[in-house]
Amino acid sequence: MKTTKQARRDAKQLFHTCKVSGLLDETRVRNVVGAVIAQKPRGYVGILTHFQRLVKLDLDRRAARVESAVPVSEALQQSVKANLGLRYGPGLAVTFAVNPALIGGLRVKVGSDVFDGSVKARLSELEASF
Amino acid sequence: MSNLLQEIEAQISGVKTSVNKQNVGIVRECADGVAKIEGLTDAMLNEMLDFGNGVTGLALNLEETEVGAIILGDYLSIHEGQEVKTTGKLLSVPVGKGLLGRVVNMLGQPIDGKGPIKEDAFYPVEKIAPGIIRRKSVSQPVQTGIMAIDAMIPIGRGQRELIIGDRGTGKTTIGVDTMINQARNNKVGRASGDKTFRPIYNIYVAIGQKQSNVARVIAELEKADAMGDTIVVAASASDSAANQYMAPFSGAAMGEWFMDNGMDALIIYDDLSKQAVAYRQVSLVLKRPSGREAYPGDVFYLHSRLLERSARVSEKYGNGSLTALPIVETQAGDVSAYIPTNVISITDGQIFLETDLFYQGVRPAVSVGLSVSRVGSAAQIKAMKQVAGRLKGDLAQFRELAAFAQFGSDLDAKTQGILERGKRVVEVFKQPQFDPIAVEIQVAVLWTVQNNYFDDVDVEKIKDFQAKLTEFLTTRKADLLTKIRTEKAINDALAAELKAAVGEFKQTYR
Ligand SMILES: Nc1ncnc2c1ncn2[C@@H]1O[C@H](COP(=O)(O)OP(=O)(O)OP(=O)(O)O)[C@@H](O)[C@H]1O
Ligand SMILES: [Mg+2]
Repeated sequence: MKTTKQARRDAKQLFHTCKVSGLLDETRVRNVVGAVIAQKPRGYVGILTHFQRLVKLDLDRRAARVESAVPVSEALQQSVKANLGLRYGPGLAVTFAVNPALIGGLRVKVGSDVFDGSVKARLSELEASF
Repeated sequence: MSNLLQEIEAQISGVKTSVNKQNVGIVRECADGVAKIEGLTDAMLNEMLDFGNGVTGLALNLEETEVGAIILGDYLSIHEGQEVKTTGKLLSVPVGKGLLGRVVNMLGQPIDGKGPIKEDAFYPVEKIAPGIIRRKSVSQPVQTGIMAIDAMIPIGRGQRELIIGDRGTGKTTIGVDTMINQARNNKVGRASGDKTFRPIYNIYVAIGQKQSNVARVIAELEKADAMGDTIVVAASASDSAANQYMAPFSGAAMGEWFMDNGMDALIIYDDLSKQAVAYRQVSLVLKRPSGREAYPGDVFYLHSRLLERSARVSEKYGNGSLTALPIVETQAGDVSAYIPTNVISITDGQIFLETDLFYQGVRPAVSVGLSVSRVGSAAQIKAMKQVAGRLKGDLAQFRELAAFAQFGSDLDAKTQGILERGKRVVEVFKQPQFDPIAVEIQVAVLWTVQNNYFDDVDVEKIKDFQAKLTEFLTTRKADLLTKIRTEKAINDALAAELKAAVGEFKQTYR
């Protein structure tokens, strides 16, 4: 279904009301969705579809994924979290994953930024330079 | 000592951990050569994007939640969910003399199978045109080798002259003739050893044309031995709309390199109507608002920023120039349609080709009344000014009288005279394709016309008379022609010599 301009505008407004000091508030999001479904305003499906998209993009933007070849220690996890927090501000959802294909090192992806310090990336960089 | 070791160790580990930051996005949707990408929060307008395995994109729409990019290259290999990286670079093409003689695509990659290109530099495809300070008024001629144009609608180096007409009226032919003539002039100039001689390099940009047409143009250029001074940029009908719309900008970048390095170049955009159509398609797929004839609102800017890049640069900045001959196709001779009026208003004049004239056998079918060059005789050598000064007015008057004279037979002697002269001038200006005429021969022939030597020749025999006169002059009076070429003006002595030569020819002509 194609969302209309009005629906997109409404969704955006709702999305902004869900923010508490710049960060998305989960309970507010749930409340908004519940309220919209209960009241069924004109074009509410479109509004919710776009609302979902905005929430998804916001979550993506604040999702940090740290990949490593071997499981990282608790201490290192804490230090990575702290460093990312310094750089990107509070509210980051950091997840850790193991990806043996990296061979060694870390690959950190925050939103659309990628910091690739893995051995694999360096090898492919080297390969590209030939 | 141990301190030092620790320091070094710390520094080494610092180097090792310095990883560069990259900005990536995910393709959400891809259709018609346009991709919608999520993420890419750092993307800049007109930045090159890397889709991996050699496919590049260009970020054109930066929206709140996504980036709209056109794909240059094979867009069929791109799939949803694919990762895209920013590159931090503007789209650039290779430029330099290494491209001469080559056929390249919109990205400057060779498509003629003659191996890699040795470029001198890379130039961004979108570049701001030279400013007012750097420019100079147009004052040196570009000889097209087409007598009707060189005599009546002269083109100067750095000028933008539109070639406009219906389909099949000989627009491409004028462009090709002009390129052939530049190559010939370059050859003569280089052979003469004249230090001040400035060659003109050609760039032919084929946009949205049939591959067979492009191949035909290249074959003609090769046959005339003109490819050595020419770059062909081809985005044919089978290339994506994005490639077609960007190709003229690539060509302009290649031309600018010559201009920036103090050389002269000539660029032919064949044709801008098709480019506008390709741009309309890209804009509609990117969901930009459309205006008149469904073209996006900035289609004027598309052409104005392209054509503004042609300029004549002053001596202080290298004295280079880039002359543009854009081609626009009209429907049923309608010059008041959207794209034609736009481009007419941007350029410094137009050569209007008429279907009626074409089918009457007047080829090149240049309409004298509707064609102008706003630079005018500033771009002619003095000799040409001397012999062609009044021609345009005379011919326009003839066209008017000819229509009028169909109704009556009783005409006064003066009108008869204008009609007879006009018929002969029209004949003289007919010219076969791919056969440009050197300027000294043009001057000599027009001098003969102005001094009434053609008046007692039958109209049917004018072409024969002209051909034999040309042959006589080139074989028997070559030094006279050389004098016209080098002195660039007809003084009394030259006039007397011309008179003697033509008189001698008249004696022998049967
Ligand atoms: N001066 C000329 N003398 C004889 N034939 C000519 C002349 N100029 C063009 N022609 C012929 O006219 C035809 C159309 O020419 P051309 O392809 O240059 O036209 P065009 O306007 O570029 O056409 P299109 O709209 O298809 O691009 C060609 O077959 C060409 O051979
Ligand atoms: Mg053509």
